[in-house]
Amino acid sequence: MLRKSFLALLTMLLASVILTACATDDSTNDNDANGDSAAEEKETASKEDSNGKEASIRVIKHAMGETEIEGTPERVVTLYQGATDAAVAMGIKPVGIVESWVEKPVYNYLRDDLDGVPIVGLETQPNLEEIAKLDPDLIIASKLRHEEIYEKLSQIAPTVAHETVYEFKETVELVGEAMNMAEKADEVLAAWDNRVADFKTKVQKKLGEKWPLNVGLLNFRADHARIYFTSFAGIVLNDLGFERPENQREDVWGIKLTSKESIPEMNADIFYIFMSDDEAVHQTYEEWTSHPLWKNLDAVKNDQVYLVDEVAWNMGGGILAANLMLDDIYDRLGLEE
Amino acid sequence: MKDYVSIRNKSGLISFQLHKKFLYVLFMLVLFSSFIIVLCLSIGSSFISPIEVVKYLFGFGSGEHDFILHTLRMPRVFLGFMVGAALGVSGLILQGIIRNPLASPDIIGITGGASVGAIIFIVYFMGTISLKWLPLAAILGAGIVSIFIYALSWKNGVTPIRLVLIGIGVAAAMNAIVTIMIVISETAVTTKAYLWLTGSLYGGNWEDVYLMLPWIIVFIPLTLFFSKTVNAKELGDDVATGLGVRVQWVRLSLLLISVALAGSAVAFAGGIGFVGLIAPHIARMLAGRMFGGLVFISALVGGSIVVLADVMARTAFLPLDIPAGVFTSGIGAPFFIYLLYRNRHNIR
Repeated sequence: MLRKSFLALLTMLLASVILTACATDDSTNDNDANGDSAAEEKETASKEDSNGKEASIRVIKHAMGETEIEGTPERVVTLYQGATDAAVAMGIKPVGIVESWVEKPVYNYLRDDLDGVPIVGLETQPNLEEIAKLDPDLIIASKLRHEEIYEKLSQIAPTVAHETVYEFKETVELVGEAMNMAEKADEVLAAWDNRVADFKTKVQKKLGEKWPLNVGLLNFRADHARIYFTSFAGIVLNDLGFERPENQREDVWGIKLTSKESIPEMNADIFYIFMSDDEAVHQTYEEWTSHPLWKNLDAVKNDQVYLVDEVAWNMGGGILAANLMLDDIYDRLGLEE
Repeated sequence: MKDYVSIRNKSGLISFQLHKKFLYVLFMLVLFSSFIIVLCLSIGSSFISPIEVVKYLFGFGSGEHDFILHTLRMPRVFLGFMVGAALGVSGLILQGIIRNPLASPDIIGITGGASVGAIIFIVYFMGTISLKWLPLAAILGAGIVSIFIYALSWKNGVTPIRLVLIGIGVAAAMNAIVTIMIVISETAVTTKAYLWLTGSLYGGNWEDVYLMLPWIIVFIPLTLFFSKTVNAKELGDDVATGLGVRVQWVRLSLLLISVALAGSAVAFAGGIGFVGLIAPHIARMLAGRMFGGLVFISALVGGSIVVLADVMARTAFLPLDIPAGVFTSGIGAPFFIYLLYRNRHNIR
């Protein structure tokens, strides 16, 4: 009897695993089908309108597919820090934003421009009910953070998503496209390109042979240190023409160093260090920088070690933050803009 | 025997006795759970009157709450209830077969296995494969690791103590793997991984509810097949063998059910902790020690705990919506310490 029931149990277990797998398959297909039919409906709708209004419906391609946006949105909710930053840069005041990582609830550098804007929750788990209450007509999200709630966001308002959260120039483009402000976006980006060009000529003139500098982007944590390669700050530094030391050129986010023996790995001409304002983190920083190996690093020998603001250099992730970074870099290299 | 009601089919395959008082407790608990569900559907960023909610549930609602109730709150509450029920029953089974009040899916490696499955998915496949497949990765992880634990514990049969010791060892190894994976990946991925490990019902949708449902309706009733043998097993392996229980078969079957339940729960809600530990204890306080009845009670208690934790998570710090796992652990950890204390001092 028991052997029988055990067999029955095993069969059921197998069956339910298979069922689950199939069900997932089916439902994905279902969704696709729904998506298609919805899209078709909209298409026909726009064709009906085509006599007068077709120009006002724009199709935006983004990380989660294509989204149709009608006219110029006025009530936008931004769901990641970089998008909030980009909106402010373009003179837009969102109707809802997510809480900042530090300096909660809004980064100091954005606080004046975002006075009174309601917070709709955490970047990782924005509160859907709060968003719905704001009755937005556009949501700007990130696939990295919001993939699983994309469908729900789309039910609230047309939602466009960027692949990541730190590609600040692409974020500006996406916000520009979605908000029907492509020209303004180009303007913001052109201003950035001008500054970059100015920086490159001036730094070349001042440093001559020594340029381009190898830059090390360091971050200390409570129990380890990190070297960032590609990241928000990494992208900005790359734009500006800084190079990474040979051992740091891999196309990954960076590495974690858990032992002080790895300090020589950090070696570069110039260090920018950012870290959180925390007792344990300062402790790690003290320990690592008082280690004998630290003194052998080129940047330390040349006195080119700079502690920088973590919001501008890492947490902000937008075009305004990038500009703040650039201000900082001009300053510290003793260059006049 | 007047105080008992026996439930038994002709062949005697399903057979358990229920105390009359138990029926009263069950009735009250069903009432309580329904009350909780309606309450949790009412509360949120905006309050919807419970009467309105009940009307909506029975199909008489007006369309105005469609989005909030149907799309946002209902799947989340139902999914939460099922997850809690699955964890509660899974914990009850484990505490029964291991005969240790501290056993739970978190402790003997099932949750650990699911975590490894999920984290591997998040670190290596997120972005390329749709997140819809994450639950499958978690269930596979739980299944593989449990088979591994069982195989390692085998030595002319499996004894509970070996199962626990090896389970704890493997759980530690799984934690180590999770830590390594988190260390080698970038911040954005780590954020996602931590969120999953804490356990959250955020973003739960109807698809998840329909996928979770079969696990509940298959495996929870299945445990009833074993209720009489579990009662005998509570007396110890030797006595149970003497009473005619085929100890190894029963243990393996129950373990599989427990893995299926905990695995599916973890798959859809992440590492929601301590529910599998607490729910059976509360159930025993309410309804005594007969396994058959405890299955239902544990399911209802577990479900209510998770739904309550989730409603706290999404309303306590408005507008923030934080992971429900924070609350289950917040309640669960002190309870665990209380259990240790009580065990040690033998307060009954």
